[in-house]
Amino acid sequence: MLNKKRIGIYSFTGCSGEQLVILECGKYLLKLYEVVDIVGFPMAQSKNTIMDLDIALLEGSITTESQLAELKEIRDSAKTLVALGTCACYGGIQSMKLGEGDWKKRFQEVYGADDKLYNKMKPMESKPCNEFVTIDYYIPGCPMDKGQFLHTISHIINDTPPHLYPFPVCTECKWKENDCLLNRGELCLGPLTRGGCGAVCPSHNIPCVGCWGPAEVTNMPSEYKLLLEKGYSQIEIFRNFRKFGGTPMVEKLKNMMEKLR
Amino acid sequence: MHEKEENSNPYLPEHARIVRKYNLSSDVRFFQIRYVDMDRALTMKYLPGQFMMFSVPGVGEAPFSISSTPSRPGLLEFCIREVGDVTSALFKLKENAIIGIRGPYGDGFPLDDIQGHDLLIIVGGLGAAPLRSLLLYALDNRDDFGKLYLLHGARTPEDMLFREEFLEMMERDDLNCLLAVDEDPTGKWKCHIARVTDLFDHVKDIDIENTYAAVCGPPVMYKFVLEKLVNIGIPKNQILMTLERRMKCGMGKCGHCVVGDIYTCMEGPVFSYWDVLNMKGLI
Amino acid sequence: MRVLWMEKGKLKEFFYSMKAFGELWGPIQKGKTRIYGKAENFSDLKLEPGRTALPIKKLIHPSKFTMFKYDKQEYSTKLENIPRRVILGVSPCDIHGLLKLDEIFLEEEPDPYYEKRRDNTAIIGISYCKPCCDSCICQSMGTDVVDEGYDLFFSDLEDFYLVWVGSSLGDDLVRLNPAVFHDDIDRTKLEKFVECKKERDKLFACSIDMDVLPDIMELSYDSPIWDELGDKCLECGACTMVCPSCNCYNVIDEVYLSEGKGKRFRYWDCCIFKEYSLVAGDHNFRENRGERLRLWYGHKLNSFGPYGRPACVGCGRCVDACPVDINVLTVARALLESK
Repeated sequence: MLNKKRIGIYSFTGCSGEQLVILECGKYLLKLYEVVDIVGFPMAQSKNTIMDLDIALLEGSITTESQLAELKEIRDSAKTLVALGTCACYGGIQSMKLGEGDWKKRFQEVYGADDKLYNKMKPMESKPCNEFVTIDYYIPGCPMDKGQFLHTISHIINDTPPHLYPFPVCTECKWKENDCLLNRGELCLGPLTRGGCGAVCPSHNIPCVGCWGPAEVTNMPSEYKLLLEKGYSQIEIFRNFRKFGGTPMVEKLKNMMEKLR
Repeated sequence: MHEKEENSNPYLPEHARIVRKYNLSSDVRFFQIRYVDMDRALTMKYLPGQFMMFSVPGVGEAPFSISSTPSRPGLLEFCIREVGDVTSALFKLKENAIIGIRGPYGDGFPLDDIQGHDLLIIVGGLGAAPLRSLLLYALDNRDDFGKLYLLHGARTPEDMLFREEFLEMMERDDLNCLLAVDEDPTGKWKCHIARVTDLFDHVKDIDIENTYAAVCGPPVMYKFVLEKLVNIGIPKNQILMTLERRMKCGMGKCGHCVVGDIYTCMEGPVFSYWDVLNMKGLI
Repeated sequence: MRVLWMEKGKLKEFFYSMKAFGELWGPIQKGKTRIYGKAENFSDLKLEPGRTALPIKKLIHPSKFTMFKYDKQEYSTKLENIPRRVILGVSPCDIHGLLKLDEIFLEEEPDPYYEKRRDNTAIIGISYCKPCCDSCICQSMGTDVVDEGYDLFFSDLEDFYLVWVGSSLGDDLVRLNPAVFHDDIDRTKLEKFVECKKERDKLFACSIDMDVLPDIMELSYDSPIWDELGDKCLECGACTMVCPSCNCYNVIDEVYLSEGKGKRFRYWDCCIFKEYSLVAGDHNFRENRGERLRLWYGHKLNSFGPYGRPACVGCGRCVDACPVDINVLTVARALLESK
């Protein structure tokens, strides 16, 4: 390749799990270093810049004013923006209480009533990157899947559109021939959750917690009614829906409650 | 137990070269292509109404109606609108680039049935893609057909695909070429400013019972045109149309083009109006 | 047809002798479910009434595989090496499922991936004196018995097997260990077979009136039932994934990091998904979930062109799979009751 693309990975609020996934790509990581110039990768190198980017990979959600400023700067500098992981895509687990009550009050309940800290940090409610800038591609997951990352990044580098098919977790769960946990009465979010993880939790007898974020097309009212019938309380169901559901779930829940009314 | 021959995989595209390409309108481009294998290029058989799968490695495949006529072998022609990933990738390719193609697929127009009859070809927008093939075929085999009409409607002169080609056809004595636009911002349009259905007023001296109509255009057009055709008395099984569906294989395996209990790629894409009434969900 | 019999205790010996043909597969236990899997030992096999999570189609039309690789414009032409396999213990409904998929994948332009796997797989069917489970509908669908589509078929008659030889390959398998087969089928064995079949016929717990259902489906095109079902359906795709007669797949290109290289792969798709009928330009031919369900059930219970008859083989997997109880039984009942 004559002109190597300049790529950077930038981290906001989250566990840095996506950087870890990239580091674990083994021979593909070496290949990636061969075919592009990686100019930002805090977990792997000490020299990092956001100058003149072809592709910026973002992990984590936005929770402070300074992060927001950095995000906007990256958007201005990069041709293509990719959100990595559920936090960057939808807000992540830290967005589970989004919009519930006065934000400053909630923040100070945890971090103390000291206004100095609040004014210094300028904390914001956790929100995904696309609340502030245009995101070109999404690779959800908690953490994202190595295969989906390599698929997407390879396509973007080669200027062809990546394609992550929007099927729910149940599809792959059937391929794995697991016993259906929902049918066994477990609070499993498989039908509502974006697939691609290989149904890893149900394959180990653990109900899906929805960590890849809400699938684009779902029938939430039906799953909600089903879980109520199975004896779960509304509070419990909503808590689970919202755990990893981020901003799209806020919208989906609102629509559902309107529909059910 | 025997091992199958491994070089006959029908999913593998064959190489073709883009010979020419140019814009037909702001978002539709004409592609003239030829098999790299010259023998293949000259011996390839197809029917108007059939389609081919284009393959761009790394992007995928998509079906396109053939716009050229088998009566002029060697080159294959297509008109393609930029709407999805594959078409965007095709638009980026330059002349002489290599692409992959498979086909032809589907059932074309029933030429044996149409021959000996009058023929109305009714085109709206991108419907020119498959119907140009039928029109050119009929013109090249003019003696096999009765009266021949082209009724072509577009939004503006700019949007009319193959505009120059069709305007030149107006000189012909063996074709009634009726071209209409909804509006003419240029002020230079010399043909009709009307809906395609209004053009029927100019259709004369056809033997209604022995007339075939071939229709292709945007979904909204069908309703009015079909009604018109039935009203003037053309039998429903002589009203033919070609329909678009999502396709991944082109040969009745992947399922995506299914309508009712049939595969469009196998039973279609050419259907009669009777088929449409009979099989719910076709249009 | 050539029919033989075998003493019950000899199957183990015959099983191992088929190693000469290829890998040994059959119904085995995986966690809480039964699956078609590789059986290292005869004791791994679950040769008793019951159903696997996925039908046998997963081995002939796999859920996900690479079709070919490419390098620039050059496509790899060599098909993946598929080892020869014997699958012992395939249920009649699954064999019917394969026969239906054969119509799609082996007719007209044969699909080389399917054909190669089909050719390299010996199918040994089995039936018991009891239905597989309470949700079997094979009797209604006429798929509780098979007379083609297998190489050998074992009728388990409690103390012995009747063995039907269904193909030349089946005959080759018998010749791997002819000593365990006998061809002197006497009257008692015949009577046992008839008695067992009659007994089994009485034990089916579910049925669908297939005499009237296809017509009722035809007449129920505009029924509100489809929207009601659409409101309930979770759009999870489970019913289609587990269905032996569902053939649909999607095709995706994947590029590698190295410039110009990549592969084209396919995986099972599902007509219940909204994306399924979406064409470029975002037009969807079946926008509502109800329309999509109507399409699927139309194929399963009314008719599907390429199969020339209803596609359902009555395995009952959708009955067990659907979390919200939408399946061939409940849909058939709803339609029959609403007429």
